Formats: sequence, C-alpha cells, structure tokens
Amino acid sequence: MTVRATILSLALLAAFSVSPALAANPPLPPVPKKGEVVAITGGKLLTVSHGAIENGVLLIVDGKISAVGTSAQVTVPAGATIVDARGLTVYPGLIDPDTTLGLIEVGADEMSNDTAEPSDEIMPHMHVYDAFHAETQLIPVARLNGVTNAVVAPGTDDSVAGQDIFIQLAGANREQLGATILGRDIALAMNYGADQRRRGGKSQFPSTRMGLITQLRQALLDAQNYETSRDAASKKPESSDAKAGDKDAAKGDKDAPKPFARDLKLEALLPYLHGERPVVVGVYEAYDVESIMRVAQEFHLKVILNHVTRTQEILDEIAAWKVPVIVGPIYELPRANERYDAVFTLPAELARRGVKIALSSGEAGGPGGAHTVRNLPYAAGFAAAYGLPYDDALKAITLNVAEMFGFGDKLGSLDVGKTANIVLASGDPLDVRTDVKQVYIEGVAQPMVSRQTMLRDEYSK
Amino acid sequence: MKLNPPRIWTALLAVGLFGTVLRAQPASPPPDLVLRNATVMTASHGTIEHGSVWVHAGKIAAVGATVDAPASAVVVDATGKWVTPGIIDPHSHSALSNDVNEATSPVTPSMMMIDAFDNRDAALYHALAGGVTTELLLHGSANMIGGQAVVIKNKFGLARDAMLFPNAPRSIKFASGENPKRVYGGRNQLPSTRMGNFEVMRQAFEDAKVYMAGWDAYNAKVAKKDATAVAPKKDLKLEALADVLRGKLYVQIHCYRADEFLTEEAIAHEYGYKIRAFHHALEMYKVAGKIAAEDTAIATFTDWWGFKDEAWDAIPWNAVMSMRQGVRVALKSDSNDHIRRLNQEAGKMVRYGGATEDEAIRMVTLNPAWIIGVDDRVGSIDSGKDADLVVWNMDPLSTYARAEKVYIDGDLFFDITASGFGTPHFSGAMHSADDSGSEDSGEEGLQ
Repeated sequence: MTVRATILSLALLAAFSVSPALAANPPLPPVPKKGEVVAITGGKLLTVSHGAIENGVLLIVDGKISAVGTSAQVTVPAGATIVDARGLTVYPGLIDPDTTLGLIEVGADEMSNDTAEPSDEIMPHMHVYDAFHAETQLIPVARLNGVTNAVVAPGTDDSVAGQDIFIQLAGANREQLGATILGRDIALAMNYGADQRRRGGKSQFPSTRMGLITQLRQALLDAQNYETSRDAASKKPESSDAKAGDKDAAKGDKDAPKPFARDLKLEALLPYLHGERPVVVGVYEAYDVESIMRVAQEFHLKVILNHVTRTQEILDEIAAWKVPVIVGPIYELPRANERYDAVFTLPAELARRGVKIALSSGEAGGPGGAHTVRNLPYAAGFAAAYGLPYDDALKAITLNVAEMFGFGDKLGSLDVGKTANIVLASGDPLDVRTDVKQVYIEGVAQPMVSRQTMLRDEYSK
Repeated sequence: MKLNPPRIWTALLAVGLFGTVLRAQPASPPPDLVLRNATVMTASHGTIEHGSVWVHAGKIAAVGATVDAPASAVVVDATGKWVTPGIIDPHSHSALSNDVNEATSPVTPSMMMIDAFDNRDAALYHALAGGVTTELLLHGSANMIGGQAVVIKNKFGLARDAMLFPNAPRSIKFASGENPKRVYGGRNQLPSTRMGNFEVMRQAFEDAKVYMAGWDAYNAKVAKKDATAVAPKKDLKLEALADVLRGKLYVQIHCYRADEFLTEEAIAHEYGYKIRAFHHALEMYKVAGKIAAEDTAIATFTDWWGFKDEAWDAIPWNAVMSMRQGVRVALKSDSNDHIRRLNQEAGKMVRYGGATEDEAIRMVTLNPAWIIGVDDRVGSIDSGKDADLVVWNMDPLSTYARAEKVYIDGDLFFDITASGFGTPHFSGAMHSADDSGSEDSGEEGLQ
C-alpha cells in the first residue's frame, strides 16, 4: 500500500484518535455561474407535492428550481449543463426534524458535547447557534445519504432546553453565504417526563412530575409578568426622562429611573407565549402528554409534539388537538406486553387520523440523531412497511418538516421557486440498498466525500 | 436438592398472578411441513426461485424446486414470499435481567450468563418478530476477561431449559480498549490504560498455566495409580481460564482498533489459544488480510460510529471490505432495537460495498452460526439442518420486509396473522428489562 502525505496525516489521526477538529473537511464545491442552467434529465422525479414524474426534467438556475415536468413539458435551454439522470430517482433533499448535529462530535467525549445545559430545568435562553459547530465531521456523513437540512435541538435533560436552529448541510462554516444556519431560534425545545427530574435524587426541587409542571407554569407566568413590567417601563416618556436622568444622575438623585434590567431567560419565552413560533414538546407516555398539553393549552403555546411512542391509547385525543407530531424514533421499544409493532405502526395510525407527521433519525432512548442522521430515510421506510402510505412517508422527512418549522415555501418538494436541494439516487430513497449518487444544495453539486469515504478509499488501495 | 417450599409458592403465585403458561417442549415432533413456491435464500447454495422446503421431525428434509414430501405434510403456500434461514445474532445482551457486567474485577471468567437469563423478557419476543431464531447472549465489556455466554434458540414461550441451544459450544467474552480502561481507571484501579488492559490478561493466563500444571501433574500421578496423588483445589476462575488454554472455550473478543486486533492475536499465539471472533471490529478494514490469515471472524455493526474515540474511524464499508480480504463477516445487534431488524442491516451491505444478496444474507445467518460454532446445525437451508426458517413478505434485505412466520426446529413460534402477540407458544405476561421509560438501561456503555 502506498502511503501519501495527505493520507499519512489521516492515518496518524486514526492512530492517535486525536481531536476531530484536526480532521480534514471535504473540499468546497465549485458554484455555478449566475444564470447558468443545470438540467437534470431522464430521471424519475419524486416531487412530494404533486406525485411522481417518469422521464422528468428539472431545471436549476441560481440555486432555485426553475422548472419541473416531463421531457415533453419542459424544454432544456441551449447551453444548459445536462445531468443525465436516466435510471436514477430524483427527490428533494431530506430534512431531519430532530438532531443534535453540530452539538456533539465523539459521543463519549464530554469536551465535544454541547447538547444540554443541565444546571437548571428552565433554560429557554440557551441558543443552539452559540454552540453549533458547522465544521463537524458528522455533516458530510449525513449529507452523503441525501439529508440536506435539519433542525438542531438541544438534548433532553431540561424541561425547557433551549432554542433550535434550522440548518443546511453545506458550507465551510456557519457564516458562509447560503450555507448552514438558515434560521435561528426557530423553535423552543421542551421535554416532559421521567427524565427531566433532577438526577441528584430526591433532595432537590423538582423531584417529581408535580414539581416539574409547577416550575414550568411559574416560569411561564413570570415571563408574562416580566413582559407587563417591561412594557410599562417602555411607556414612560423616554426623552425627558433620559435627560432628567442624566442630570439627576450627575446630582446623585436616588429617584432617577434606572435602565430597564433585561432578563434574558424570561424574555426568551415571550415569542413562544405569543404563539409566534412553535414549541417542540418531547414526551413519551400518554399521561405525560396529557399533563403537558394542559399547560400548553393554558398558555396558548403553538405545540409540535415529539416522540409520543407510548400513546397508543390516546391517538384520537392527539388528533383532536390538531398539532403536528414528530413521531418516534420509530425504533423506540414498545412497552412490555404490547404487540411488537406497537411503535412501528404509530406513524400510520396518526396519519390515518389526519395528523401531520414528521419522522426523525434518532435511535431509541436518546436525544435526536447526530451520528445516525444518514439513516433518516430508513425510518420513513420502516413506517411505510407498517402501514404508512409511501407518499406520506416521504413527506414525513421532507415537506411536512419544512412546513412545521416555517420553511414550507422554500424546501421539501420539487416545485418551481424552491431552493434546489436535490438528491439523485440509484432507486427508492427509503430502501436501505439504494445508493445516493449526487446531492445538490442550493443548486451546487456537493462533493460526495466525507472523512469516512477518505478512509475507505485509502484502505482500498 | 430439595425444593425450597417458599420457592414453590413463588412459582405458583407467579403462574397464578400473571397467568403465564410456559409449555414444555412438545413430546412428539410436529407433522411434516412444506413451505411451497417461495423464493428460497439458502445462504449456502444461492437462491432458488419458486422453491420449496420440506421439514420433517424438526429438521430440513429437503430443499429445491420440488420436494418429495408425503401427502400428509402440512403445506404452506408461500407464493410471492421469501424464505431464509432463521436470523442469528452473535452478540446480544438481551434477556439478562440487566445483569450484563460483573464489573467488580477485570477478570471474571467463571460468570455464567445462563444464571441471568430471563426467558420471558419481551426483548426475546421483539427479536423473534424480527426473524431471530438463535442468539449468543454475552457478558458485557467492562472486563478484559468477562464471563461465559449462553446460546439460546428463541423458542419464546417454552420453559427456560427448552430455550437453550442443545450442546452448543461454550464461548467466553473478552474485552479490550476503552471500556475496561474506563471502568477500572475510573476507580483508580488497574487497568486504566491499554498497557494495563493487556498486562491483566497476561497475568491471568500465567496464573492459569500454574494451575493447569498442578492438575496435569495430579492427573499424571493418578494415571500411574500413584497413591500419593493429592488433588489441587478446584478454582472456578482458574478452571475457566485453563479451559481457554485447553481450547475448550471459543474466545469472543470485544475489540475496536486495528492495533488491538494484532495485539490480541499475538497474545493468543503466546498462550496457545485461538480467537473465534472479534466483536465490533470497526477498524478491521485496516488489517483485514492479517486477521483473515488467523481464521478469526468478525461480528460488526454496519454503520454505528462516533459514539466514542475508538469508534471514530468506523466506516460502513468495513464489513464488505473485510469480507473481500477473506475475513468471515457477521453482523450483530448489541442492541434490543437493532436485533429486530438485522435483515435490514444486511440490506445495507448491498449498498455499502456491493455485497451480493447472497453474501449479505450470509452475514446474518451462516457466518454468525460459525462464530457461535453451530454452523453444522443452523444458519443455512440444507437438508439435515435444524428447520429454523423465516417466511418474509418480500425480499428480506428490503426496508419494507416483515417476518411473517418464524419456525424453530420446525415448530411455529411467530405468526404475524395470529391474534395478540402472534406467538403460538406464549401467552400471559412478559418481563421487560427496558421498562424504564425512554432510558435504554440495558444498552448504555456496552458497545
């Protein structure tokens, strides 16, 4: 085996298992020129929004989809770059609604783990964008299997864990134009159940579900009160006060108005109390779902339920709330003495009741996926195996996710005007045997390279 | 041994309260069975389109385009279905009452996993519904030398002893790398480094050699009818280690890194035992040629990676790359979740490295059977082998495949069309070691 210099560094890296930050990222791809047309022709287009098109043509200009249709409907302009997709399946980039991508590198290495701030249960002022590591080696690995976007959420330790970001799995860093962070503070991550009780045992509040709910309700009330006082403070005539204040301050007047003391924690809750953005509530058991929904309804929160894997007895109730649901991970184990497929069939059962569902890549019992994000399509396939109609399964990892998080006009389907996040694969995207051939993000063909393909190629010599 | 009356009461109460009926092994074998007109993946000699499998007295009597079964045989029309050998998991910690690791010493070879085996654990049922018919239940990876495995047939619903794989070879679990380091290093005990790990092992075998020599000398004297022969003290720990040196135990080693495979092989040579398989083996692709020459197999994850430092170089092409260099490759679960879909894990191998469907199915049937040492009895559809068979609704390597019927020794143990659990031999209440909400208490740290 010949060992080249670049590869030597990779091998050294492997040998010492050093900080992942030292590992090479794939090269950045060339960006098409302005106005340049890329035509993906001859493939089977899974549009998600309007069915499948055999022998389809899809045009991309300036990072957006400019035409979608059959070869008879869409004319490929002269000078277009033709991508021959005959025999391939073409579909919108997949979107994972619940990941910890960029918050964790090596699972067991605490220093590379920024998933949760467990010092308090109520942490709405934790912003995922502050910890997000865009250069993570995990992103290229996920991208190679056709995942182009994801919600990054904190871990599940806290009742209110922090605020999510919506990312695009491209770009060299998080500031790069058109890359990486598409939305900040897009949703508030909440959790409720046995896991959020403090692990210090029974000596510290809250040690029960009653404690958790009381604490949460108080925090939401505090935020409402905070808003009232903040608004009152801002209504005082500002200019005269400020002037007087300056003068008074010089004189050392004790009655001078102080600048309003912002409380970032309570302030962080306000957009969610106003229903401006969704609250993603992670909860597993039926009775826990009912408890937390009481609070959510009391405060008019715009809820997206997450997990709900042990709620088989309240599915009609969930449907009646008309909230979207991220079901799963579908691989959560059923309760003892349930039928083996009690969780496998949940997506189908909810969809059948008219619930808008999404599916995530997480593995059983953990926070959202990070290392497993590439397996997102198989979760949808599994749901389809257990009764979810195929089109709904595909929607649950594309358009439905985009719509739940406010990106429905930009992502999730092959429609004119949408961002050209497109995947070309050897067959059915939900089948484990299908090979992803090419991924486009904003019309840019991504290098099909990850640290793992580099290792593969080196040791295949 | 007399039965302890309170125990009898407990047993009676258990039956009374939960209504669980554990049937004994049927006295007479079930009638002949023919699975007719299926796509039969034999795992040993390719796939037979429109093939049939004839089962007689719990064994496969014939397989082929046609079979000469008697007219009295029960015929199951499997038109449009697929039939494979039962799935075999060579690395599971299911149904061990959460007693996976005796993590009180880095050398615990006399721990017998059978002592923790709970035959009513729901995890067995979940695996059965995924087509799993045989499992190697292993000690955890906290110790350099862990305990001795139990091999089961997944006859869910039968009595505990009826679920044991008859006369299966004995296996012992070794570990290496981060887990022993973390467990004992965390207590400021030896070992806390890979140096310490391997030295603990060598010392254990040095002790076992002395012990063995004592017994060899004694046995020699006895053979010569020497009246002065005094039997050395039986020591369960040293006895188990001596059995490793005597070649009586299959050595199954939890090991991730390329350098450690080589060190383990060197130590095995030094003390004269063989390594049956490396488990996890995520870096095998780096040294596969060398390990193939040792005739050591691997039982690996398909695409788990990054959960710790020694899993950082894991690549999903590992299995197929290693196979192409001559290593016998099995896929395994190490998880109460993945054990339910090992067929899909095999499907991934078609994609990652281009395994043929035949090679892929072998990774979850015949190859794990070899690792356990039962490949002469299970793992393929060949006449004379145990009739452990799965009927699938479609190609089992597809994401959409579901196991519809699972036969073990010719008897039906799972039937997707049956009401309730779909388990003809089980009714009543299951146990669950994973009953603690969303925490996977059984899995953490075992990888």
